[in-house]
Amino acid sequence: MLILRTLCWGPTHGHGIAKSIERMSSETLKVEHGSLYPALQRLQQEGWITAEWGVSQNKQRAKYYRLTATGRRQLASETSRWERFVRAITGVLQPVGSEEGQ
Amino acid sequence: MSWRRQLAKFGALFHRSNSVAELDEEIRAHLAMEKQENLEAGMTPEEAHYAALRRFGNVTLAQESSRETWVWNWVETRCQDMRHAARTLAAHRGFTLAAAGMLALAIGITTAMFTVVDSLVLRPVPFRDAEQLAHLWMGDEHGGVTLVSPEVVRAWRDSPAFEAVESAVSDTGLLEAGNTVVTRVVATVTPGVFRMLGGVRPLRGRLFDASEGSPGHSDPVLVSETVWRALFGSDEAFVGRRIRLNGETLTVIGILPADFSFPSANTVLWRPIDLSSHPGPGGWNKTAKAYVRFASGVPREDALRLAAEAAHAADSSTARLRPWVYPLVDGLDPYSNRAVPLLAGGVMLVFVLLCANVCSLLLARLTVRRREFSMRAALGASRMRLMQQALIESGVLGALGVAFGAVVAWALVSLARALMPMQLLSQTLNPLNLNERALAASALAGLVATLGAGLLPAWLGTKVDPGDSLRVVDRSGTEARGARALTRSLLVGEVALACTLLVAATLLTRSFVNLATADRGFDTSGLTTLWLVFDSSNTGNSVGREVLARNLEEEFRQIPGVKQLAWSYGVPPRGGMIDSGDWISDLPSAIPVNMTVVRYIVSPEFFSLYGIPIIRGRAFIPGDTRTDVIVSERFAQALWPGADPLGRNFHLKGVALHVVGVAREIHYPAIGSHVDSPELYQSMIGFGNTAMVSLRCGPNCPEAAVIRYRLASTHPSLKVTDAGPVERFYAAQLARPRATAALAVAFAAVAILAAAGGLFSVLSYAVSRRRREFGIRAALGASPDQIRRLVLRAGLLVAAIGLAIGSLLAAALARVLASLQYGITTYDPLSWSIVLGVIVLTTVGACWGPARAAGRLDPQMLMREE
Repeated sequence: MLILRTLCWGPTHGHGIAKSIERMSSETLKVEHGSLYPALQRLQQEGWITAEWGVSQNKQRAKYYRLTATGRRQLASETSRWERFVRAITGVLQPVGSEEGQ
Repeated sequence: MSWRRQLAKFGALFHRSNSVAELDEEIRAHLAMEKQENLEAGMTPEEAHYAALRRFGNVTLAQESSRETWVWNWVETRCQDMRHAARTLAAHRGFTLAAAGMLALAIGITTAMFTVVDSLVLRPVPFRDAEQLAHLWMGDEHGGVTLVSPEVVRAWRDSPAFEAVESAVSDTGLLEAGNTVVTRVVATVTPGVFRMLGGVRPLRGRLFDASEGSPGHSDPVLVSETVWRALFGSDEAFVGRRIRLNGETLTVIGILPADFSFPSANTVLWRPIDLSSHPGPGGWNKTAKAYVRFASGVPREDALRLAAEAAHAADSSTARLRPWVYPLVDGLDPYSNRAVPLLAGGVMLVFVLLCANVCSLLLARLTVRRREFSMRAALGASRMRLMQQALIESGVLGALGVAFGAVVAWALVSLARALMPMQLLSQTLNPLNLNERALAASALAGLVATLGAGLLPAWLGTKVDPGDSLRVVDRSGTEARGARALTRSLLVGEVALACTLLVAATLLTRSFVNLATADRGFDTSGLTTLWLVFDSSNTGNSVGREVLARNLEEEFRQIPGVKQLAWSYGVPPRGGMIDSGDWISDLPSAIPVNMTVVRYIVSPEFFSLYGIPIIRGRAFIPGDTRTDVIVSERFAQALWPGADPLGRNFHLKGVALHVVGVAREIHYPAIGSHVDSPELYQSMIGFGNTAMVSLRCGPNCPEAAVIRYRLASTHPSLKVTDAGPVERFYAAQLARPRATAALAVAFAAVAILAAAGGLFSVLSYAVSRRRREFGIRAALGASPDQIRRLVLRAGLLVAAIGLAIGSLLAAALARVLASLQYGITTYDPLSWSIVLGVIVLTTVGACWGPARAAGRLDPQMLMREE
């Protein structure tokens, strides 16, 4: 989901995705960059992202990943599910008294 | 979307190297970018390089896990497994051949047997609503003539009881094809018979028109595909060609498919007949064999009552007769009815046994395989993976077995079609074609057994701690106790089943031999009989017939090899007239004896030709009258118990007869409830419309068909309705027991060999496993003899338990078999000793090899091996 979110802003290469995730999560989620690639392969096979070769800023040949229409839909549904999940957890974790007060 | 994804996955299969290169390049680019960033952050190049690698983590792992998401990985693994399986099987060629061969045999035999059973018993005849079809005739309480007069057929056609009534009479005919003459079965049918049966479509040409068969029409004939292919070389222009049958020239109007046969299974030619315009030969009016389709709305009893009323009204000769129904659906005779299910049971036993043997073969290799599996488990293979591999290996083995099995089944069915006795084949109108459902079912059962047995080593091999069984040498020698017990019990089962089958085979074979060699009361070798019908238009009176008969006699005597000739009305066995009623002897205060007697009217040469000894009195001499009779021993015994029957008189239904001689009894050995009736012979005076000729032939005598052809060419007015060696009457009784015994022996042989093979392989593995133990025993002073005995004892123990269980099973089976036996009891000591001897000899034979190998072990060699 994080990868899909990253790709929302436009196509980028693996390194860029890794950096974006680190940046967005304010360095909380520090993934091993290596673990990114199996995930990218899986997403590609699900048809949520596509890849093509491009050239990076420093003239390096790199593979650029792009979100597909299905990928976008998937992201939307997963985000909403995640939000529901978070709401549920938050609800459980709220102090008991506040509920009784209502 | 999904199919595109699948396509992409498969694309990846073929662009595998491409994908790998791309992934590598991508990762390199990633590392380069990271390094660049690090350099920009102020690291030294070396530091930047290592930091980038650290940040990335395990490069190889990333590559591997990425690849795992590609589908070719899965396929590649399966391919690898297949290769591994093929290698393993090829490495143990003997084992593979034995296991696949046994599986193939099991599948083949079972499929072939069920094809036959299905065609004979289970499947209805291949006609529309076959249960409504029947052969119908008017007969007395014994049955009687199965033909009816055309008037009766016409009356039945008008009756509401039937939807359709047609006639079909089959007879043998002489067909000329090229330069040869062959005997083939010809049916004379009313044109509507094909419509009544339903669904008959000619391969080429057309069926009969309603008008065909009446005089004035050209003579059309329908020919079976089999004849067209075999005798006329599948001639494309066959329809419209003219062929010669029984000396007549006929026009082929159509070819019927090989799968169609009616009214008998071997009918291959059909001629039309219009019942209204053909008087029977010699004015005999019963010329139609009525096949009916019952009307669907009428209850069967009502239909039969209507049929009887109609017949009584149409033909006065049927006044005291009642209708007999012979449905087309269940046409199996009592012997086959009992034998076929038993044989099917036998084949099931063979199937189970062979599958058990495949299992025990697989299990016998357990120790070896288990170590291999443990080794691979220790190297990191997951249990799932090992199970998968074992599954694929047994799957490949099973597939081999199934493939060979299909070939074996096909070959056996072809063989059955060619060799099965006509008496059995002719009981069904179903074509005998390989049954795919039986093949699928037996193949599936065989595969399941193989897979099950194949999975066990993998299961056991991965259950234990790998380190445990990885030790180079097995110290214990009693490893895999569970598997060993399983193998032994499988073996015990095999021996028991083999024993059961062997008992059945021995009893059936002994029965057959008894039946074949049983006393028939006369000499059947070289005896040929012909049934002649004189055409009344040419030889209207008895003088004319007498002249013709004398001419024929001369002609028969001219045939090379013919030694003796006799005329008779009725020929033994079972060819005489049936007389039943109260027989009254001339003894004072004689009680009438109610019995059924077979009567033959014979010429004076009859007794010497047949070799039937006259015990008392004399044979017939010219000048004897109709009232002079010769009786059989049993007849004399019944009427004049203890007294001399010679010269005495007796009555039947008011006719007085005088005994001039006593003849030896004729026997008709048959399985089942058949009881020989006593015989009565009358002297033959003059000729009726029909007569039989019996010929005693030497070794150079021509075949009956040739004699018949000769007669047809010299005497066109003469009709020969039946011709052949007397043996054919016995063959009808012998064919089925012979086929049953042969099949049972084949099953038993397979069973014995399989059990012996199983015993041999299991003991061989046991010996190889216990080498160390035997070595120690030898080192401690055990003689090779003692070690041999140890192994032999293990084998004989298995055989003894198997034999004990098998004997119980066999005793139960033998009781069921009792109805198929002839001249022996269920507990026939000879049969049982044969079984015991064969089992013991086979066991010793199978154990001898492994035992000798154990005895030859050299302790020093063993020490060095370690």
